[in-house]
Amino acid sequence: MPTDLDTLARVKLSQVLRDHPDPATLDPSEDLVEVYGVSSLNKVLFLTSLCKAASVGLHNFTEDDLARMRTLDGVVNALRPHAVPEG
Amino acid sequence: MTVIGLGHRTSWSAADFYDQARAVAGALRRRGAGPGSRIGILSANRMEWVLLDLAALMIKAQTAGFEPGKFTPDADLVERYDLDLLFTDVPLPDDAPPQAVPISIVADHAGEVPADLDPVQWATTDCTTVKFTSGSTGVPKGLEATAGSIDSSLHAVQGLFGHGPGDDILTFLPLSILQQRYWLYSALYWGHDLTITTYQSVLAVMSTVRPTVVMGVPAFFDAVRRHIENSVADGAEPAEAVAEVFGDRIRYLWTGSAPADRAMLDFYGRAGLEIYEGYGLNETCIVTKNYPGATREGSVGRALPGKEIIIDDDGVVHVRSDFPVNTRYTFAAPGSSENIFGPGGLVRTGDLGRLDDDGFLYILGRADDVLVLGNGKKIIVRPVETRFRDTGAVSDCVLYHPSSAGLVAVVSPLPGPVDTGAVSVALADVNAVSEPDERIVRVIVADEPFTVENGLLTSQFKPVRHRIAHRYSNRIDDPKAGIRAY
Repeated sequence: MPTDLDTLARVKLSQVLRDHPDPATLDPSEDLVEVYGVSSLNKVLFLTSLCKAASVGLHNFTEDDLARMRTLDGVVNALRPHAVPEG
Repeated sequence: MTVIGLGHRTSWSAADFYDQARAVAGALRRRGAGPGSRIGILSANRMEWVLLDLAALMIKAQTAGFEPGKFTPDADLVERYDLDLLFTDVPLPDDAPPQAVPISIVADHAGEVPADLDPVQWATTDCTTVKFTSGSTGVPKGLEATAGSIDSSLHAVQGLFGHGPGDDILTFLPLSILQQRYWLYSALYWGHDLTITTYQSVLAVMSTVRPTVVMGVPAFFDAVRRHIENSVADGAEPAEAVAEVFGDRIRYLWTGSAPADRAMLDFYGRAGLEIYEGYGLNETCIVTKNYPGATREGSVGRALPGKEIIIDDDGVVHVRSDFPVNTRYTFAAPGSSENIFGPGGLVRTGDLGRLDDDGFLYILGRADDVLVLGNGKKIIVRPVETRFRDTGAVSDCVLYHPSSAGLVAVVSPLPGPVDTGAVSVALADVNAVSEPDERIVRVIVADEPFTVENGLLTSQFKPVRHRIAHRYSNRIDDPKAGIRAY
C-alpha cells in the first residue's frame, strides 16, 4: 500500500469532486451522495481508483458491499482488512 | 456467455446454455406456461434473466421485462399486465400474489434434465415481449415487440458491424431494455461471446473481460472519460489509462439512447477508440447508426436497411419500418397510441431532425422542447442546453420560459461545492455566442445533481424536464432567484 488508506481515500475522493478540494478538509463521516453529491457512477469510479491505488482487489466486495459504503469512513473500514500493510 | 459482477463470474458454452434454457423451459411448462402465456421478469441483470428469456422463446411464451426500482412485485402489477408468472429478485412480501416467485429458483431449474421440446415458430407479427417506456411521466407505456422487428434489426446491425467469433460484446444496462437482449440473440445467431454485468460492476470488471465492443449510454462514456483524464493528470500514459479501463481489445464503442456530446465523442476519437452514435426509440427500434466507413460528425448515421426516415413540414422525424415494432401500445392511456403510431407502420418520433444530401440524420431536439416566445420566435432548446453543458461548469442544463423576461436555465451542479463564479462565467460565455432570443436571463443551480436515483434523470440519463420544473418551480418563477446574466 503506497500510503495510509485514510489519506489515499481522501485524495481519490477529492479527484472525483468538482475543483478537487483539499483532501484534508473532507469530513469522513459525511454521506458521499447527499453531502458531496457523488453520483452512483462517480462513486464506482472513486472506489475503483482507490482500490487500484491501495492494491485492494474489487473482487473482495459485492455490489451490496459497495452500496453499504456510504461515507469515507465506511469505505476505509471496508477496505482496511484487505489492504496489504506497508513494508 | 459470461455473467460477471463484483465477487462472481460464471461462463457457459453455448451448448450448456442451450441445455439449461431447455431445462428452464420444462419447468415453465410444469408451472402451466406455454404459448400465449406472459411471464414477467423484475430483476437486476443475472443469468436467470437470460435463461428465462430464452426458455420463454422456446415455449412461445411472452416475456415482460420490468426495470428494477420502477415496479413492485405486487398483485397490482400481476393484474395490470395480465401476468401468468412473475420472477423477481425483490424480496416478496407475505401477501405477494401466487404468480410471483423468487427468480433464484430458475438456477435450480437450470440444473434439471433438459426438456424435450418441439421447435416453435414465431411469425413476424407475433410478439415475443413487452417493453416499457422509461416512464418519465406516470405509468410507463407498454409496447409488445414483434418478432419481425427484432429479426430485422438484428440482421441490419449485423450487416454494419459483422460481429462474430472473437468478438465479446459487453453489456451492463438493464436486461429489461429489449435492446440489451438483442446481443444475446446476436451471440446465439452469429457465434460471438457476450458478457453481461451491471452498472455497479462494469468499471471494475471491464478490463478483465477484455471486451471488443462496449454498449453504453453517453453519460457512462462521459464519466469514464473524466476518470481517464484524471488518471492522465496523475501521470499515466493516455493509452495505458484507456486500456486500464476498457481492456486492450476494443474494436469499437456503441452509444445511443441520448444525445452524445461532441467533446466526449472527440475524446474517444483522440484516444484511438472508435465510438459510433445511433438513433432509435422503443417504438421504432434502431433507426440509424454511424458505423465504420459511414460516419459523419454530428449525425446519428444513416437509416438502416428496412427503415425509412421522413421529415415532415414541421421538421419532425417520422420513421417507417418494413417490420414495425408494433402499430399501437398494448398498455397505455387512451389516445397515447394515436399520438405516435400512424398508418402504414409510420411512427412520429417527436424529435426534430434534418437529413443531409447523403441521408445522414441530425437530431436537433424534441418537438415538445420548442419554446415559443412572446414574439412568436421558436427556440429549439437542446442546442442552447448543450452549449451550457459544454462549458464544463455544470453537468446538465434544462431551459424554461416562465415569462417574457427570457429563458431560465436550471442546471445540475457538478459534484462538490457549487462554484457560482464559474456558473456565472459560463452563463456569460453561452449568452455571448447565442442568438438574442436564446439569451438566458437567469440560472437556477439545482440543490443536488440530477440523478436517476432522485428521479430527475431517466434510466437512460435524460433530464426529466417536467419533474425538474416542478421541483424548482418557485425559483424558476421568481424573477429574483438564481444567478442573473449581466
